[in-house]
Amino acid sequence: MTHPAPRGRHDRSQRTAGKHTGPQQPAGPRTARKKNVRKRNRRKLPMRYLLPFMLLVALLAMLMLRGYVHSEILADHRVRDADSNTQVPKDVRSGGPVIDARSGDATTLRIPDRRIVLTFDDGPDPVWTPKVLDKLKEYGAHGVFFVTGNMAARHPELVERMVAEGHEIGLHTFNHPDLSYQSTERIDWELSQNQLALAGAAGIRTSIFRPPYSSFSYAMDNKSWPVTEYIGRRGYLTVVNDTDSEDWKRPGVRAIVERATPKDGKGAIILMHDSGGDRSQTVAALDTLLPDLKEQGYTFTRLTTALDAPSAHTPVTGFALWKGKAFVSAVAVSERVTGVLVVGLAAIGVLVLARFGLMLLLSFLHARKVRRKDFSWGEPLTRPVSVLVPAYNERECIEATVRSLAVSEHPIEIIVIDDGSTDGTADLVEAMRLPGVRVVRQQNAGKPAALNNGIRHARYDIVVMMDGDTVFEPSTVGELVQPFADPRVGAVAGNAKVGNRDSLIGAWQHIEYVMGFNLDRRMYDVLGCMPTIPGAVGAFRREALERVGGMSEDTLAEDTDVTMALHRDGWRVVYAENARAWTEAPESVQQLWSQRYRWSYGTMQAIWKHRRAVIERGPSGRFGRVGLPFVSLFMVVAPLLAPLIDVFLLYGLVFGPTGKTVAAWFGVLVVQAVCAAYAFRLDKERMVHLISLPLQQILYRQLMYVVLLQSWITALTGGRLRWQKLRRTGAVEAPGGTSAQRPQGPGADAGFGAVDRRPYV
Amino acid sequence: MTAPTFPTAGSPFPPAGPPLPTTGPLLPPETGNGAQNADGNAAGSGAGSPAPARRGPVRDRYFDLLRALALFRVVLYHLTGWAWLPIVFPSMGVMFALAGTLMARSLKRPAAQVIRSRVRRLLPPLWLLGAIGVTGMVAQGWGPDAEGHPGWWWQHLTYWILPLSDPPYAYDVAGIEGILGESWPEDLAGPLWYIRAYLWFVLFSPLLLRCLRKLPWPTLLAPLALSVVMRLELFSTTERLDSAITDFSTFGACWVLGMAHQEGVLKRLPAYIVPSIAPLFAGAGLWWASHEGFRSGFDLDSIPLAQALWSFGCVLLLLHYSPSWTEWPRRLRAFDRPITLLNSRAVTVYLWHNVCILTAATLYDRLWSVDALSENVPWLLESWIPVLLVTWALIALCVLAFGWAEDVAAKRRPQLWPDGRS
Repeated sequence: MTHPAPRGRHDRSQRTAGKHTGPQQPAGPRTARKKNVRKRNRRKLPMRYLLPFMLLVALLAMLMLRGYVHSEILADHRVRDADSNTQVPKDVRSGGPVIDARSGDATTLRIPDRRIVLTFDDGPDPVWTPKVLDKLKEYGAHGVFFVTGNMAARHPELVERMVAEGHEIGLHTFNHPDLSYQSTERIDWELSQNQLALAGAAGIRTSIFRPPYSSFSYAMDNKSWPVTEYIGRRGYLTVVNDTDSEDWKRPGVRAIVERATPKDGKGAIILMHDSGGDRSQTVAALDTLLPDLKEQGYTFTRLTTALDAPSAHTPVTGFALWKGKAFVSAVAVSERVTGVLVVGLAAIGVLVLARFGLMLLLSFLHARKVRRKDFSWGEPLTRPVSVLVPAYNERECIEATVRSLAVSEHPIEIIVIDDGSTDGTADLVEAMRLPGVRVVRQQNAGKPAALNNGIRHARYDIVVMMDGDTVFEPSTVGELVQPFADPRVGAVAGNAKVGNRDSLIGAWQHIEYVMGFNLDRRMYDVLGCMPTIPGAVGAFRREALERVGGMSEDTLAEDTDVTMALHRDGWRVVYAENARAWTEAPESVQQLWSQRYRWSYGTMQAIWKHRRAVIERGPSGRFGRVGLPFVSLFMVVAPLLAPLIDVFLLYGLVFGPTGKTVAAWFGVLVVQAVCAAYAFRLDKERMVHLISLPLQQILYRQLMYVVLLQSWITALTGGRLRWQKLRRTGAVEAPGGTSAQRPQGPGADAGFGAVDRRPYV
Repeated sequence: MTAPTFPTAGSPFPPAGPPLPTTGPLLPPETGNGAQNADGNAAGSGAGSPAPARRGPVRDRYFDLLRALALFRVVLYHLTGWAWLPIVFPSMGVMFALAGTLMARSLKRPAAQVIRSRVRRLLPPLWLLGAIGVTGMVAQGWGPDAEGHPGWWWQHLTYWILPLSDPPYAYDVAGIEGILGESWPEDLAGPLWYIRAYLWFVLFSPLLLRCLRKLPWPTLLAPLALSVVMRLELFSTTERLDSAITDFSTFGACWVLGMAHQEGVLKRLPAYIVPSIAPLFAGAGLWWASHEGFRSGFDLDSIPLAQALWSFGCVLLLLHYSPSWTEWPRRLRAFDRPITLLNSRAVTVYLWHNVCILTAATLYDRLWSVDALSENVPWLLESWIPVLLVTWALIALCVLAFGWAEDVAAKRRPQLWPDGRS
């Protein structure tokens, strides 16, 4: 969701090889070349993906379980119409409501006169079942609850209460399908899952069963009778009913009482429901029914009591009990997980939308402010400035870079710092013989060192920094340095643009950059907490740099680090929208991965490094208490929660409501698109690239999550060690070398450019 | 059980087109620029035989693979009827797109000549099927009086010769007890809609190509627009014409896409465009399918607009990533011969596969009468896998028995088993 503040390409590979070998780094293969990378990759990948993958699987498993007990999967809502009843024994059709088909010949039992067995189906329900239980307790009545497995698994405490208060439990299948449609395997499964939930909830099994959608004995037909026979063979008594209150139709309390009451003092099994909708009428009907019938001399008992039979319950022990408990606990966890996820989703939704809203508002304000005709930073700044171009093996690009600088409209001196390139970068620049271009050579030491070296050589008080593969427009330097007319400004961020935007991955990064520069950076500018001066195009007041000690090697993202340091020192950091620099974005997933890993991990390091700002006074404290939390929230925390959106998208697509899920996703997409379109308009970019936005949301964003997750894992596991000052080990290698560690020596090198783009974890 | 499942009317069948640059039957094979013979290489050059391949334009193995996959998928789908199969791989769209590519390549020559050669290569295998099929139907009592309009019967019979509309077939014939089920004429003639659609595309190709060169995108999208119009039922002609127009609109976009690929229209776009828009078309197709009530028995074949959009999106992606293999990647090398065979006998396989499925299913069902099997391994008798194996065995027999017609149509020396090994 968040756009990493793009910084241009150069920094992507900067700190790689040897010098960043923190103690936890594997000593050997740090600077793989592409060829090797691939091979090593195959071995390394599983580790990198393992944790995210396990997390995802666990999450999905929980969601599946939840879908399962909520009848979102495996549910079958078909109900069969009545069939002929030629195969149902006459005795059964005219017999009582308790059918005993356990032996070959089915017999039926009736409830003796003046006895009532109240039965409640489909529960337990968290709202209505307690009320029903309360009523029964109030009148000293007992009854039978035919519970479904999924409800019992979700509300085990209610089942426990039923048993504790002396009621009987019957099975009503796991998720209430019409059994006449089901195979015997499915029927077995429905029964055993139902028993499992019951065992887990109350530690018992039961031997009575009521089929879903059943009514009276005489309603048995050719389709339901075989099921009854089968269930009898499995050892269950099938219990239908004498009177049906039809309370599920909510016909009114009087109608329920009337339909439920048996005639002439006869015994009866009364069918009622404690679940499946608003059951207030059922509860109210009990208030009439119980005293009325009591007055007529009825007793309300369990089924087996009414039949003078032993209890239907048997305690479950041993493994079966633990299995049941494990199942019920897993369901409980899954319910909670979903709850947590929903809260997380709501949080991320609010965060994302608030961020978009804030970005639109603040970038509008920023654009309006800096585009006013009379806006100026102060006296036009015309004095010459120094431009530093750190380069490591930039043979292909350096010429274009330097030439673009040579035509700068602003007076500049150009300093190319060659960080021990092995491809003749420095010679190439010298051979160009351009006036005003100096080449400084150093042994390979990394980009921060190269920049510090350049600063030492710079003649002027304003230093522009760029990458060796970036191309400036003639007006870029002039635009970039104008804000220094304001003496409070310590650093300026330019506007990096993706040059290679015609490939898919380039188009995605183009969208990201345009949004990152035109929305994020304007917002940060207004809020005074710009986290990063992009390495591709930025300018610093030399005095400010010197006060904070120049570039540091403490983190993987020296640009973020130094920017935060400037904030803490009280300098303003602003955005110059017209200082455009054209940079080349990574073209392969591999390179992109490594770049982003560096950025996100480096940002975390920088935030951690400057954490003390939170409690400090003055400008540092201001930044620590406003800027840091803000940056942390949007660059580190929010992207961590953002995958929830995709998890729920998947869940919603699979279990429904599919339509709403898709609509919600498109809603977010539209918000994204509106923001992106606004950013493109601010930058006067052609909108056509936005066509790849939907796909970006499905493929690219997820890649970024995994990268961020990887950074988190690094940070939480061995990453702490990296906070130390990194020692230079010299254990680096020429880009062409093998992965073997080499003794330090002149010419040993590593650096930005072409070396490994993928830091190891 | 295993009766071949037929897509309902208007259904899509699998396309059979095997366009092999060197030997393709349905589709015209193209030889090198200098080749005079429109129909491909000199006689005797077996499909895929290395020598001609080297001389002619290099054969794109990626296309060969797609064509073989499409054909295999069609047979599997007609056997099992799984609704998701056409989504996993939209065979029809792929076949028409490949055919469109070859057609566009041929059309460097005069249009009339190209059409003539294409039609000449298409029809003889169909005539062979018709000769056997119609004779069989007549033998089982089909005749001019079958539907009470002898005049129409004779007139429609000509569609077996030039299938501008679907060739007619008999209902309610006896079949052959235990070998061939009663629905065999329907199964036999069912796949012929593809031949008819193919013929239409060939006839329209010169016009389509000219439009494509002038207005690439409108031409690409026009068939989809026509598909929408057909769905709106704004007009209606005769049933025969309607079904022809529906198929034309459903797969026209894929055909034109194939032409556009050949013409380089897609390559002129920035690389991000195609992968970005293709999922939009495909997604719209899925959405429309679910809106129309996609389910088993009512799949893409029954929802032409969804079929058109989904196929267009998928084919767009497949062509975009088209790697143009001149040689098999290592992992596919083992499949060279079956793929080559499927490509060089694609028309035969396509025309006969449905009868083979019916026969295989009828034969296999006889095992139910073996008590030992039906009582002990009913799952085996219900399984589709043995039927698939039997089906392919029968198809192999058909290749041996009828495959020569493709060679004759191409004016090549007939070959028994052209799997690329000479």
